[in-house]
Amino acid sequence: MLFWIVATLLTLMACLSVLVPFLRRPAAVGVMTSPDLAIYKDQLAEVERDLSRGLIGRGEAEQARSEIGRRILRASERAGGATVQRPLWGRAVTAAAVLSIPLVSWSVYAATGSPGEPAQPLQARLQESPGNLPVEDLIARAEAHLRTDPSDSRGWEVLAPIYLRVGRTDDAVRAYREAIDRLGSSGIRQSGLGEALIAQAGGTVTAEAREAFEQGLQAAPGDGKALFFLALAAAQEGDVAGAQAQWQALKADQPAGSPWSEAANQALARIAQPGRGPGAQDVQDAAALSSAERSTMIEGMVATLDAKLRDNPRDPEGWQKLVRSYAVLGRQDEAREALRRGMSALGETTRDAAALQDFARSINVLASVQP
Amino acid sequence: MIEAGHFALVLALALALVQSTVPIVGSRINDARMMAVAAPVALVSFALIALAFLALTWAYVTSDFSVVNVWENSHSQKPMLFKITGTWGNHEGSMLLWVLILALFSALVAVFGRNLPDQLKATVLAVQGWIAAAFLLFILVTSNPFARLVPAPFEGQDLNPILQDVGLAVHPPLLYLGYVGFSVSFSFAVAALIEKRIDAAWARWVRPWTLAAWIFLTGGIAMGSYWAYYELGWGGFWFWDPVENASFMPWLSGTALLHSALVMEKRSALKIWTVLLAILTFSLSLLGTFLVRSGVLTSVHAFATDPTRGVFILGILTLLVGGALALFAWRAHALTAGGIFQPISREGSLVLNNLFLTTATATVLIGTLYPLLMEALTGDKISVGAPFFNLTFGSLMVPLLIAVPFGPLLAWKRGDLYAAAQRLAWALGGAILVALLIMLFVDRTMLFAALSIGLAAWLMLGAATDLVLRSGVGSQPWSVVRRRLWGLPRSAKGTALAHFGLGVTVVGIVATVAFQTERIVIMKPGDTIDFAGRQLRFERVEPFAGPNYTEDQARFTLISGNRDVGTLVAAKRLYTARQMPTTEAGILTRGFSQAYVALGDPSGDGSWVVRAWWKPMVTLIWLGPCLMMAGGLLSISDRRLRVGAPARRRSQPVPAAAE
Repeated sequence: MLFWIVATLLTLMACLSVLVPFLRRPAAVGVMTSPDLAIYKDQLAEVERDLSRGLIGRGEAEQARSEIGRRILRASERAGGATVQRPLWGRAVTAAAVLSIPLVSWSVYAATGSPGEPAQPLQARLQESPGNLPVEDLIARAEAHLRTDPSDSRGWEVLAPIYLRVGRTDDAVRAYREAIDRLGSSGIRQSGLGEALIAQAGGTVTAEAREAFEQGLQAAPGDGKALFFLALAAAQEGDVAGAQAQWQALKADQPAGSPWSEAANQALARIAQPGRGPGAQDVQDAAALSSAERSTMIEGMVATLDAKLRDNPRDPEGWQKLVRSYAVLGRQDEAREALRRGMSALGETTRDAAALQDFARSINVLASVQP
Repeated sequence: MIEAGHFALVLALALALVQSTVPIVGSRINDARMMAVAAPVALVSFALIALAFLALTWAYVTSDFSVVNVWENSHSQKPMLFKITGTWGNHEGSMLLWVLILALFSALVAVFGRNLPDQLKATVLAVQGWIAAAFLLFILVTSNPFARLVPAPFEGQDLNPILQDVGLAVHPPLLYLGYVGFSVSFSFAVAALIEKRIDAAWARWVRPWTLAAWIFLTGGIAMGSYWAYYELGWGGFWFWDPVENASFMPWLSGTALLHSALVMEKRSALKIWTVLLAILTFSLSLLGTFLVRSGVLTSVHAFATDPTRGVFILGILTLLVGGALALFAWRAHALTAGGIFQPISREGSLVLNNLFLTTATATVLIGTLYPLLMEALTGDKISVGAPFFNLTFGSLMVPLLIAVPFGPLLAWKRGDLYAAAQRLAWALGGAILVALLIMLFVDRTMLFAALSIGLAAWLMLGAATDLVLRSGVGSQPWSVVRRRLWGLPRSAKGTALAHFGLGVTVVGIVATVAFQTERIVIMKPGDTIDFAGRQLRFERVEPFAGPNYTEDQARFTLISGNRDVGTLVAAKRLYTARQMPTTEAGILTRGFSQAYVALGDPSGDGSWVVRAWWKPMVTLIWLGPCLMMAGGLLSISDRRLRVGAPARRRSQPVPAAAE
């Protein structure tokens, strides 16, 4: 609204600048003294000054005077005032000139401008209520805030899990470390750091991540997330029996309805079902094989599963298995690709797809952020 | 606010169209009220463009990334000064500054042009209106600084780090004030051709505008040269690079214009020269704008990436320059010959000056455009570098510089070269003495350098001679001399000061080029090297974090005669937003000379490549233009009008005729 008022006032001002000279009474003009004459008279005076100061001789002054005199004559021949304008002709020009201003300006502005767009100073944008801003903007706001006030430790703690959610794993690790440095170690922060480290390593529970979980457990014994991932670490190292035992213990300790006991349940189901995954026996067999043969066997199984899902895509459990397999193999990109394919095969909005996504998140396979 | 600025800019276009038509029609049909439209419209246009410029600056200051231009060229972490200067540190913003200054000059003509005849004033403002309309259209069609970006990002892409310097606050505005200031001379020339009013009074009216533009352009070029010197880290002050040449050409022809307008004002002579030079100077300014803004310069191929801009400016250039020259050809017969003069006279010496300066301009023009043409036609990249310019431009300047002190000493209409030479005898003696002293005490092998510095001394002493003679030193008692010196016209003092400044610049250039010492060495902290009779000790390297960059600062101590005389800090800097490294030179000024240290690359073992220069008298290169500007200011403040007092034909000793 303000814009329209300003634009109208500016247009008015511009029109007036054209109109006002036409409104003046013509009597004010017409009689003129030629400005050239003033200059030449001044030149004559200058000659006198130079002469009296002795800068030029008498003869030179005389010649200069006659030269200037000739200029004066020529200038006075030309002198003559401007006429008063002819009414009809003048009115037409006035009207056309004044009208052209709004016509030109408003039509050009209509083509180039964005009248509805308010100014958006950065400071004000950073302070406005979050509303339904996209997550990238929220992150940018938090980052801008932390840059101006890096000592705001809570900021790092809030930002860390968001980084993890959008797949910026390096930033997530950094943010968790900042939070731990500034606020001290806690169960949530350490297990968050562990989770971020696993995501950074592409799904592998690294030694660093294990250490984080173990420190987290010291601060908060019985933390579901830490226990779950430590069991996963055992599974990834081939200690299936140990992993099973740990998941069982986790299920027993966690209160009913805890997401981690549910996750443990699923993990147990996958690891135990013969035929649907490498069971205890299979894994023992696999351990007996040479490592090269073992990886060939696993790759073969995954490839078979992948091909089967291409033929028969409506298999929610099959997709979960495929995603997990790739994740365990450390092939994070293919895991994400499998997640994406599964989601689209199952239909983006279905419950199965949601379950697949939750599962994928629980093992830290993250849907790549849509550009 | 931003859209209001955008709208104001569009409105300024509408007003420019009115300004370019109504007053000139009024002037043709001799209608006072139509002519009177020009002044208020010019004032309101300026106000509107200023509003648009402020709106853009405001967007930069508040980091409003919903403006594409701000997002592309700014960053929220940039220091405030560079947020403001960043407004014109890019194509769109600099074009807006260009039209802002154009509108400023139109407004100044509207305000200070009360003593102009109505017709002339109306026509001049109409011609200014043509230029303004063309460039406003250019901005709105091809380079709109107010284009919006929705949704707005939260961070910008930052300004080119090389531009993040105080130089950006001073150099472009000064340079544009010079470039665009010559538009007033151009408009006066075109208006004079249309009005058939080309006489001494016209020259008197156009002179202050030309002088003002020349002062600004001198400052802008000198500032740009100093900026390149300390920022680029090569230790050079002039690279004959096409962008520099683009600003130097209008300066050369503007200097010629300044001198020939003087003749026209005093003697009503040199009309064709003056009008042509006025058209030529602004055409070269436009050419400079075209070369720099179209992207032709970085490479001919950049032209293809955004052809509309280049073609648009080329169209404006063709229309304005072609139109002005066609008008000139049409009206040339109306240019009546003015006062007559002998070849040896003040006028004659200024014709010589014009010849040399325009030839020099043409030389620079050829050297600048030839490689571009070759690349466009054959695809071959050739480089016309310093050797070409030093040879051609240098050999043109030597005779001109020799002639400069004669000019002010010659009388109008017919002068006496022998008498002038006699009066310059002691200046010549002084110059020879200086050259001999340089040969004997500085370097016996540098004959050419010694002669060049002698030439500079000749310029400086010659400039002083004029004032000395006019005030009557030697023939009058001291009290009279003092009074007369004080009473001399300011324009005479300005001339002397500007010519003296020219000599100062020559001293700086020759001394730096001929006598500078350069060392390129690998140094570790703690090492000391000898150079130019001094020692340079590498103290240490320490990290430093600026607001939007990080750098490694290397500290050096300059030791002269076993005494620490100062610290130099050179740095390798990294601008984080663009991940762009820059080199910051360390400079220490001692008297007029400077020590200059640039840091090269580190090698793994903690040692660095260090380039160190001792540059004797280098600051004189930029001090000279300051004196020239001061001379110009002194001259512009001379309110009195000047008239040439022609010397009477001397009663020559007629040889006894055989009757």
